[in-house]
Amino acid sequence: MNTPAPETPAPPLEIHDLTVAYQRRPVLWGVDLVVPPGKLVGIIGPNGAGKSTLIKACMGVVPIAGGWVRIFGSPLGRAHRRVGYVPQRESVDWDFPVNVMDLVLMGRYGKLGLFRRPSRADRDIARDCLEKVGMLPYANRQIANLSGGQQQRVFLARALAQESDLYFMDEPFAGVDAATEAAIVTLLHELRDRGRTILVVHHDLPTARNYFDMLLLLNLRRVAFGPTDEVFTYELLQKTYGGRLTILSEVAEAVRQRG
Amino acid sequence: MNCPSLTAEPWRLRSHPWFTALLLLLFLLALAFAPSAEAAKIGELSVNSVRTQALRFLSLQDPAVRYALAGSVLLGISCGLLGAFLVVRRLALVGDALSHAVLPGVAAGFLWSQTKDPVAIFIGAVIAGLLGTLVVEGIKQTTRLKEDAALGLVLAGFYAVGICLVTMIQRLPTGAKSGIDKFLFGQAAAIGPGDLKLMAAVAFVAIATVLAFYKELLVASFDPAFARSAGFPVRAIHYALMLLLAFAVVSALQAVGVVLVSAMLITPAAAAYLLTDRMHRMLLLAAGIGLVSGALGCFLSFLGSNLPTGPLMVLSGSTLFAGAFLFAPRHGVVTRWWLHRSRSGRIRRENTLKTVYRILEDRQFHGDGVTFRELAERRRETMEDAECQARELVRHNFASLHSVDRTILLTPDGRQRAVELVRNHRLWELYLTHAAHIPADHVHEDAERIEHVLGEDVVRELERRLNYADTDPHGRPIPTPNAVHAAGPSEPDRRPPAGYGR
Amino acid sequence: MIPTLAQFIPPFDVRSVLVDPWTTDFDSKGWIVLMGFLTSVACGWVGQHLLLRRMALMGDAISHSVLPGLATAFLVASFLFGGRDDAGHAARDSSVMLVGAIAAGWLTTLLIGLIHRHSRVKQDAAIGIVFATLFAIGVVLITLFADHVDLDADCVLYGEIGFVPFQQTLQLFGFELGPVPVARMAVVTILTVAGTLAFYKELVISSFDAGLATSLGIPAPTVHFLLMGWLAIVIVSAFESVGAILVIAMLIVPGATASLIASRLPTLFALIVLHSAISTVAGLHLALWLDCSIAGAMVVSGCILFTFAWTATVIRRARDHRHATLHSASTDTPSPASGPV
Repeated sequence: MNTPAPETPAPPLEIHDLTVAYQRRPVLWGVDLVVPPGKLVGIIGPNGAGKSTLIKACMGVVPIAGGWVRIFGSPLGRAHRRVGYVPQRESVDWDFPVNVMDLVLMGRYGKLGLFRRPSRADRDIARDCLEKVGMLPYANRQIANLSGGQQQRVFLARALAQESDLYFMDEPFAGVDAATEAAIVTLLHELRDRGRTILVVHHDLPTARNYFDMLLLLNLRRVAFGPTDEVFTYELLQKTYGGRLTILSEVAEAVRQRG
Repeated sequence: MNCPSLTAEPWRLRSHPWFTALLLLLFLLALAFAPSAEAAKIGELSVNSVRTQALRFLSLQDPAVRYALAGSVLLGISCGLLGAFLVVRRLALVGDALSHAVLPGVAAGFLWSQTKDPVAIFIGAVIAGLLGTLVVEGIKQTTRLKEDAALGLVLAGFYAVGICLVTMIQRLPTGAKSGIDKFLFGQAAAIGPGDLKLMAAVAFVAIATVLAFYKELLVASFDPAFARSAGFPVRAIHYALMLLLAFAVVSALQAVGVVLVSAMLITPAAAAYLLTDRMHRMLLLAAGIGLVSGALGCFLSFLGSNLPTGPLMVLSGSTLFAGAFLFAPRHGVVTRWWLHRSRSGRIRRENTLKTVYRILEDRQFHGDGVTFRELAERRRETMEDAECQARELVRHNFASLHSVDRTILLTPDGRQRAVELVRNHRLWELYLTHAAHIPADHVHEDAERIEHVLGEDVVRELERRLNYADTDPHGRPIPTPNAVHAAGPSEPDRRPPAGYGR
Repeated sequence: MIPTLAQFIPPFDVRSVLVDPWTTDFDSKGWIVLMGFLTSVACGWVGQHLLLRRMALMGDAISHSVLPGLATAFLVASFLFGGRDDAGHAARDSSVMLVGAIAAGWLTTLLIGLIHRHSRVKQDAAIGIVFATLFAIGVVLITLFADHVDLDADCVLYGEIGFVPFQQTLQLFGFELGPVPVARMAVVTILTVAGTLAFYKELVISSFDAGLATSLGIPAPTVHFLLMGWLAIVIVSAFESVGAILVIAMLIVPGATASLIASRLPTLFALIVLHSAISTVAGLHLALWLDCSIAGAMVVSGCILFTFAWTATVIRRARDHRHATLHSASTDTPSPASGPV
C-alpha cells in the first residue's frame, strides 16, 4: 500500500455539492467536504440528518442525485480497493452460515479478483487482524453465537483486513460494551497514526469531543466542518441539533409530496 | 469452468452468451408475429359455436351453467374478502403455501369416503391446510430458517405427499375415473349442488365473521403488538383467519384448482389495495373484484370446448389488477405519470411567467409588454418556442397577446403569480444563505426547484424568520404581494400585512 | 375401509422393492436414480443461494413462470421450423427450452420488481400475482395449442421421472455416454457446481452484505440477475423429471435440511449432495413399494430427512436448555450458603 506520493496528493475524500434523495425526498442537500489525510473524522448530527446516507453515497451503495464524490482524486469505481467499509451491525443476517474467520476473509475478496480463492497469505492477514481486535480465540466460532460487542470487533477486523487508506464506519459504537468501545477507539487512533483517514458516524456527543480530530456537523446540509476544538461549540451544536432548521425538513416533505 | 469432455456437446455450445442473446432476439422477433398465428388457430373455434355457447351461458337455462356461475361468484367473494387481510398483513405467500398444502387432505378425504364427497374432502383439506400453517409457525420458531424457507418447505413438502397419494388413488379401481385430477386445475362445470351448498356456507361464514369481528381483525392486522397489549387474543385471531382461509381455499378448489387458488386470494385484494386507502372499502372492492373475475373466468371457460376454469379466472383477475396498477386514481402508474406531466407543464409555464417578470424588472417596469424576441433572447430559445410558451400563458389566463407587435401582456392574475414566484425564489435564497449558511453560489438551483412548491404557511414563516427583508443575497429586491395591482413596483412595504401576526 | 386399505398400500415385498432395482432392473432404475440425484444436486445448490438471500420464494415464482416461457418457445419454434421430426430435433428442443426458460425467468424477475417498485403492493403479493398470471397464461396456451406444444399440463404439475425417455443415447466420439436427458442434466449440474465454486466469493459476499459487495466493486444487482437466469435454466432442466411444483421442494428441502446441521458453507454444500443421494435412493424404494409417483416419493423422503434433522435440533436445544438451567441452578444454590455473609 506504499503508493509514491505525487507532488500535490489528492485528498482522500472530496465531495462536491452532493445531493441524495430517497424516493424524491432529499436527505442530503449540496454537501461540500474535503477531508485531509491522516485524520480521524467524526460525523455527528441528529437522527435522520443523513449521516449514514453520506457514507453510503460515498461508497456507491445509494445512488447520487447530484454532485460528485472523488476518492484519492478518482471516482469510486476506480478507487474501491483503497476504501474500507464497516456497515451498521444490523444490516446483515447474523444467522448466515459462516464463521468468524470466513467473515474476516471477506475483507480480502475485493483484492482477489475473479476466480481467485483466498491464499495462505490472506489467511495470515485475517488472523493478524483478528488478533488486533482480540478475537483470535473465536476464529472458528459461528457468527450467530457472538455478542453485540464481539460482532462489532469482527466487523472491524474485516475492515482492517481490507488494508485500505480510507475507512468509512457506520456507528461502530452502537450497542457495544465499554471495553469494546475503548478497544475500538485505541485501534482507530493507531490506524490514524499510520496515516489512514477514517470517517466515523457517531451519535454520542460527549464522547465525540475526545475521540475525534475533526468533526463534521451534519443536518441535511453541512453545518460545519473543522478541527474538533473549533467546531465543538455551543452555537454550532445548537444549530445542528436545534430547531432552527426545521423549516428545511418541512420543505423537504413538501418537495416529496409535490415536487 | 473447463470441462473438456463436454465442450463438444451441442447443448453446451448453445449456452454461449452470444448465442443465447441471438436466440433471445429471434425469440422476441418471432413473438411479434405470433398473434397472427394465434388468431388463425382461434378461428378454428368457429364464431358460430362461440356465439351459441355465449347465448347458452347468458340465458342461464342450463342448470350446470347456473351452478358453475353461482359457485364462481361465491368463491370470488369469499376469496377476495379474506385475501384482503393477507395482503395488508404481508402474508400473501402464506395463502400460496396453504393452498398447496391442502392437496394431501383432499386425497385423504377422497380415500376416506371413496367418492368425491364434498364434505369429506372439505374436512380433510381444512385439516391439512391448518397443519401446514402450524408447521410453518413451528419451523419459524424453533429453527433459524426464515419465513420464505419455511413457506417453501411446507408448500412443496405437503404437495409432494399429495401427489404421491393422488397417483396411488388413480391406481385404485374406483379412483381412475374419480376426476380427482380436476382438483389440480379446476373445472367449474363439475360443480354440483352439494359443492354449491358448501360454497354458500363458506361465503356466509366469511362475510358474517368479517362483519362481526371487523375491529378485532383490523387492529390485529395493523399492529399486532399493540393489539396484544390492548388485550386482544392476537394468536387466536391469526388462527381463526387461517381457518377461514382454509375454508375459502377448499371451497374454491373445485373451480380453480390447487395450483392457482392462491391467486384468487391475492390478486383481487392487491387490486383493491391500489384503489383505496380505507380498509372497509378495500374489503368491499376486493370482494367485488373477486366476484367479477370469478364470473368472467367461468364465462370464458364456457366459450371454449375444454378450457380449464382456474387459469381463466386468474387471468381475468390479473387483467383487473393490471388496470388498477396502471389507472388507479392515486396510485396508478399512468395516473402518476399524467400528474407528473401536468406538473412539469405547470413548472415550465411558471418559469416563463418568471422570465417575463424579470424582463420587466430589468427595465424598471417601463412599458407593459414583453416581445417574443425579448423572451426568446432571455431564455436562449427559438422564436417558435417563445411563442408556444406565450400561448400556454394565454391559455391559462396569465397573459394576453397583442397580435400586431407580437408582445405579451400579463393579466392581473399572471402578474400576481409572477410576483409570488420571484418572491419565493428570493426569500428561499436569502433563507439558505442567512439562516442555513449556505454559500450564495449554491442556492440558486435549489430555489429554482423550491419556488414552485412553497406553500403560503412556509412563505409567511420565512418572512418572519428573515425580518421581512427586502433584498435577496444577490442584491435584487424581493417584491411584495402588495405590489401586485400597482402598475409598477411600489415602495416595498415593510409592514407585515394584516393577519400575518408576529 | 380395511380391505381397500390393503389394496391401497401394497404389501412390502423385499425382493421387488429393495433388491430388483439394483440387480435385474438396474438398466432402467439406475438411470432414474442418477437423473434424480443430478437434478437434486443442481437444484439444491442453486436453491441454497436463494435461501442465503431469503428469496426461496423466487424459486416458487420462476418454477411456475417457466411454463409459459416453454409454451411460447415451443409455439414459436413450431411456426418457425415446422413440426418436422428431424435429426436435429433434440438439440433444437434443448435450445428452444433454454431460451424460453431464461426469457421467462428474467421476465418474472423484472415484473415482480416493476410491480413492487412502482406501486405500494408489497413484494410477497407481487410474487404471488406474477407467477400465478404467467402460469395461467402457460396453461391456457398449452390447452389452446395442444398439437403445437409438446407439453402435457398434468405432466407439468408432477413431471414423472419414470417417463423420462432414457432410450435415446448420446454418442460422442464413438463412445456411448448415456441417455440424452441424463447427459443434459449432468451438464447443468456440473456447470452449477463449477459456477458456484468459481464465483463463490462474489455469490457469498453479495448475499451476506450487499453494501460491502458494492463498495468492493462487485455489482450485487448483476449477480442477482445472473443468478435468476441460471435458476431458470436449472428449473427448466429439472422440469421433465419433477414438474413445476416439486422442483420447489428440490430447491429448498436439501438446503434447509443442511442448514439445520451445518454452520459453515462448505459443509453445507457437501451435506446437500449427501441429502440428494439419500433422498433419491430412498425415494425410489418408497415409490416402488407404494407404486406412486417416483419424483413425489423422492421429495417426500427428502422431507422426512428434514423432519429428522428438525426433530434432532429441537431435542438437542431442549436438552441444552435443561442442562443450562440445571447447571445454573446448581451453581446458584450453593453460592449464598457457602459465600461470606
